[in-house]
Amino acid sequence: MKHKLWAVIKKETLILIRDKIGLSIVFIMPMILIIVMTLVQESAFKTLNEKGIPIILVNDDQDTLGLTIYRGLKSSTFCYLHDSIDGKPATSITAKAAVAKGQFLIGIVIPKGATQAIRDNVSNLVNETLVPDTIETEQNQVKIDSVNIIFYIDPIAKKSFITSITSYMHEFIAIVKTQIMFQTFSLQIADLIPNNFKKPKNTYDKSQIINYKEVFASNLTGEIVPNAVQHNVPAWTIFAMFFIVIPISGSILKEKKEGSLLRLLTMPTSNLVLMNGKVIVYVIVCTIQFILMLAVGIYILPFFGLQSLELGNNLLAIYILAIATSFAATGYGVMVGTLASSEQQSSIVGSLSILLMAALGGILVPTYVMPQIMRDISELIPLNWSLDGFYKLFFRGAGVADIIKLSFKLIAFFIATMCVASIVNRLKHKL
Amino acid sequence: MSQLPIVEIENLTKIFKDSDNPAVNGVSFKIYKDDVFGLLGPNGAGKTTTISILCGLYPATSGKITIDGMPLNDKINSIKQIIGVVPQDIALYPTLTARENLEFYGAMYGLSGKNLKDAINNWLEKLGLTKAANKKIETFSGGMKRRVNLIASILHQPKILFLDEPTVGVDVQSRTVIIDQLKELNKQGTTIIYTSHHLEEAENFCTDIAIIDYGKILIQGSPKNLIAQNTNAKNLEDVFLNLTKRNLRD
Repeated sequence: MKHKLWAVIKKETLILIRDKIGLSIVFIMPMILIIVMTLVQESAFKTLNEKGIPIILVNDDQDTLGLTIYRGLKSSTFCYLHDSIDGKPATSITAKAAVAKGQFLIGIVIPKGATQAIRDNVSNLVNETLVPDTIETEQNQVKIDSVNIIFYIDPIAKKSFITSITSYMHEFIAIVKTQIMFQTFSLQIADLIPNNFKKPKNTYDKSQIINYKEVFASNLTGEIVPNAVQHNVPAWTIFAMFFIVIPISGSILKEKKEGSLLRLLTMPTSNLVLMNGKVIVYVIVCTIQFILMLAVGIYILPFFGLQSLELGNNLLAIYILAIATSFAATGYGVMVGTLASSEQQSSIVGSLSILLMAALGGILVPTYVMPQIMRDISELIPLNWSLDGFYKLFFRGAGVADIIKLSFKLIAFFIATMCVASIVNRLKHKL
Repeated sequence: MSQLPIVEIENLTKIFKDSDNPAVNGVSFKIYKDDVFGLLGPNGAGKTTTISILCGLYPATSGKITIDGMPLNDKINSIKQIIGVVPQDIALYPTLTARENLEFYGAMYGLSGKNLKDAINNWLEKLGLTKAANKKIETFSGGMKRRVNLIASILHQPKILFLDEPTVGVDVQSRTVIIDQLKELNKQGTTIIYTSHHLEEAENFCTDIAIIDYGKILIQGSPKNLIAQNTNAKNLEDVFLNLTKRNLRD
C-alpha cells in the first residue's frame, strides 16, 4: 500500500513538473494575477484618496458659503478642485458642458446670494428667539427666496462618490450656518446687554471640542491599516488556489482519455490509493502556491510602491487554514474531473464555477455591499469561509480557535466532494 | 495443452444501459491453462466487451465466470493479482520515460525494489528497448510504444494475460518481436487470451480460437480443426469470412 501510494505520488509529481503550461497555470499566472489585481485596486483606491475626483466649482456666491466650500474642497484629498475651464472662469453652462463631456466627474454651482439666504434664515430664527413676544415678530421677518446648489453629475460616477460629495456640502452648509448663527446671536446679545458683554473672538473655532479618530478594532499588537495589499493578497490567493481545478481535472481526464485509468482499473490497486496520491500532490502544490503568493505580497509588491503584506500574529493558524483551503480546492478539482467527460468541459465548467464562487464568496466584491439574500448564499461558499478566516487572521489578530470552525467546514467540503467523486466513479463503471 | 480450464464462462450476457441489443449474448466457452486463446470477430462483435468483463472493468448483466477457480464477482481483487491486461490503446503516460512508466505500473502490481528493477531491465532488453529506457514515451515510434505497452502488463509474470489487439498499427519487426516474446511467456506458464484482426497472425499464434459475431460464439476449436471443418477454406481468413459474411459492420 505504502509503495503504491508513493509510486502514484512520484508519477503525479513527474507529470506535473514536466507540464510547462500546467506549471505556469499553477504558479506563474496566480503571482501575476495578484500583482496586477493589487495594483489596479490600489490605483482605484488612490483615485479616491490621493489624487481625488476631478470637480469643477462655479462660485457665484462669492461670500462666506462659497468661500468655505471652495477652501474645504481645495484642502480635501477626496477631490481635485478646478474653478476654471480652458483658462476661463467656469460658469454654470460651461461646467455642465464639461461634465457632460467627461472632463469632470461632478460640477457644483453655488448660486449668487446663497450665503445671504442663510444669513436671512438665521436672522429670522434669532429674532424669533430673542425678540419679546409682545412685539409682532412677523414685522421683523425677512422674506427669504430659497436657493438651490446645483450638482452636475457624470452618468458614470459611482453613487458612493455622489453621496460623499453631498455629505461634504451638507457639512459645509452646516458649518457656515452655525458660524452665522453664532455671530448673529453674539451681536444680538451684545445689543441687549452692552455693558457686561465682551465680544468673543474666534469663539466658534474654539467650540470644536469633539474630534474624530479612526482606530481599527483588532487584537493585533501593532496596528494593521487596511489597504489594497491586505485585502487583495488573501482574496486572490484563495481564488488562484481554487483554480487548481483546471490541472487536477485535466490530469484525471487525460488518464481516462489515454487509457491509463482503464489499465489501472484492471490492476490490484484501489481507486482510493490512486485518488489519495493525486490529492496529496495537489494539496502540496496548493500549499506551495499559497506560500509563493504570500511571498509576493510581502517581498514583491513593495517594489511596485505598495505596502508589504502583514501576516498577523499567528503563523500556525495561517498554516492550518491554508492546508484546509488546499484540501477544499483539491477536492473540488477531483469532483469536477470525475463529473466532466472531456477536458474542454472541465476547463469551462471549472473556471466558470470558480469565477461564480469568487463573486458569491466575496472575492470580487465584499459581501457587506451585497443584498441580504446574496450574503446568505455567500455563507455557503467555501471561498468565503477561507477568505473570512484569512481576514480574521490578517486584520483582527485572530488565533487558531477563531479559524478552527472554518477549517473544519473546508475539510468537510473536501470530504463531501471526494464522496461525490467516488459515487460518480462507481456509477460510471456500472454501465 | 493441459485439460485444466483456467477460465470458464457460462451463458455470459452484457446489455449496456443505452442499448437495446446485447453486446454479448449468452456466450459460453472454456479456456485451458497454457492455451493461447484467440477471440476473433469483426468490429462490434463483442470481443472487447467480453475481455473487459473478464478483467473486471464492467459487470456482466448475467452469466457465470470463473477464473483460476475463483468466481469473478466475489474474488475480483484476488483475480486482479494474477492477470495482466494489455489494452488496445497505448495506455502509457507520454511525458514519462519508458522506465518511469514501467516503475509506476510495476508498483501498481505490488512489485518494488530489486524485483521491480530486474523485471524492468529484463523485459526492456528482451524487447529491444534498453537504449530508449530513459526517453519519454512521446518521442517513441508506434512499435516502441506497443512494446512498452506490453511490458507494463507482464512485469509481474501474470498467470493469465489478456491482449486486446496488441500488434495493431506496428511494423513487421515489432510485431515479430512481440509475438515471439508472447510465445516465450506462454511457454513459461502464462495463459494468453488475445483478440486481433490479423487472422494470419492468430492462425500461427493461437492454440485455440473462438469466432464471435453479434455477441455470440459461432465456432471454437484449434486453427487446424476450424480450417478442416470448413469446406473450401484454405486458411483462417476463409473460415472467418464464411462464418461472418462479407457485409460491412458499423
